[in-house]
Amino acid sequence: MELVVALGLIVFKVAFLIAILLLLPLPLTWLERKVAGHMQQRMGPMRVGWHGLLQPVADGIKLLTKEDHIPAEADRFLFKLAPILALAPPFVVFVAVPFGESVSVLGTEITLYVSNMNVALLFVFAVIGIEVYGVIFGGWAANSKYAVLGSLRTCAQMISYEIPMGFAVIGVVMLAQSMSLLDIVRAQADVWNVVYQPVGFFVFFVAGLAEAQRIPFDLAEAEGDLGAGFHTEYSGIRFAFFMVSEYAIVLLVSVLVVILFFGGWNGVLVPLPPLLWFVLKVAFFVYLFIWFRFTFPRYRYDQLMAIGWKVLLPLSMANIIITGVLLGAVAAP
Amino acid sequence: MSRAQYRVGTWIGWGFFADLANGLALTFGYMFSRPVTMQYPDQEKWLPYPRYRGHHFLKRDEEGEIKCVACELCAQICPCDCIEVVPYEDENGKRHPAKFEIDTARCLFCGLCEDACPADAIALGQQYEFSSFSSRDLVIGRDDLLAKPGKAATGGGVVAARLNTKKDVLVETEETQGYDWWRNIRRT
Repeated sequence: MELVVALGLIVFKVAFLIAILLLLPLPLTWLERKVAGHMQQRMGPMRVGWHGLLQPVADGIKLLTKEDHIPAEADRFLFKLAPILALAPPFVVFVAVPFGESVSVLGTEITLYVSNMNVALLFVFAVIGIEVYGVIFGGWAANSKYAVLGSLRTCAQMISYEIPMGFAVIGVVMLAQSMSLLDIVRAQADVWNVVYQPVGFFVFFVAGLAEAQRIPFDLAEAEGDLGAGFHTEYSGIRFAFFMVSEYAIVLLVSVLVVILFFGGWNGVLVPLPPLLWFVLKVAFFVYLFIWFRFTFPRYRYDQLMAIGWKVLLPLSMANIIITGVLLGAVAAP
Repeated sequence: MSRAQYRVGTWIGWGFFADLANGLALTFGYMFSRPVTMQYPDQEKWLPYPRYRGHHFLKRDEEGEIKCVACELCAQICPCDCIEVVPYEDENGKRHPAKFEIDTARCLFCGLCEDACPADAIALGQQYEFSSFSSRDLVIGRDDLLAKPGKAATGGGVVAARLNTKKDVLVETEETQGYDWWRNIRRT
């Protein structure tokens, strides 16, 4: 009986998570277009619903009813596989991501995470790496020069950014002495990691921008020079998959930044509910992503590689060494 | 400040991403500025200046008689050959157009017909909303041209409008000449 309840709870949590992740791109696209509009002294969507609130729904209906076109020369299997490969990993990753300690509903404690893995961080990086295959396959299978150029850039970009990103979080792991995201947040109860690891935060955030393929590092889709990059040939629901995946990764990177460097659900000064603190911090970073998008120009291909290999990688390595030395010095006496 | 100091300061600024922060501050400031959007069919619309060359109209004289003497000068001068005039003579021996058709689908609104007219009978007015699903509907006949609104005394402003507006809204505006397009963009 207890097993059934526990299983039911997990199924409920997973379903809830999937529902949230599938629905969040709707307000996020609206927000992005609104912010873009106002930053450019326009109004953004205004026609559908109050201040265009229903615009994402209209867009969704449009995408669902559009023809799902597969180019004649495309590799049909890979072409169909790619959107799924891009969409699934961000969803899977959230299994390991905690959103809070626990809440008590009707007398039972319900934890705000699906699982507390002891190697959660490793799991996150391992699974999110698969997402890149979706982008690469999508570009390759379409048999279009723009799409191939897009996925070519993605390959290079991912090689140069996954490594600094992985190195950047090692400092956090050293501080928390654990790879469990839950323990990492608990270790930040007093002081947030960003105080001890500003360089690590910087490297992680820049690499996260590249990971999410957002401006200034959105070379894979660079609409100015590549049409729409890897998803040039995609239409209808498959295109929507890529969009949802993009927003899920934006959300994931924001959540990871908050968990790893900004104390997760630990608040400061103002006593708010932990979950609210968490949501507010994540919302801030999502806004930061949008804000960056409409402020910065896109980096050139070689500049991106130079930043990745010549700046971020040495910085993250130095960060590890300095953190280790300081930790040793503190622990020595 | 010497040049060397300035250069060092710039480098320090780059080290702390001063240029990026400047850009972010600028866009953030703009986010709370007023949009310059004119919500055209929904809420407001642009009322053009009186000199604007919009839809043609035919004038009547004091007796209510049509001014046009059907000399066909407008049809002659029309660069896109979109005016067709067929004259007739009434019982008083005056020439008038039996048929006066303007194909507004072909018209380029140059206003040469207005310049050429010896009887000051045709002019281009303020109306600019006459799109249609059929190009046949854009051939405007004599009686329709007589019924079109004439030159307005005022213009150059934004007036209230609704999407379901069927009639031509010609609202007298306080703000006539000299609409400040840059009112929301200019930042002190």
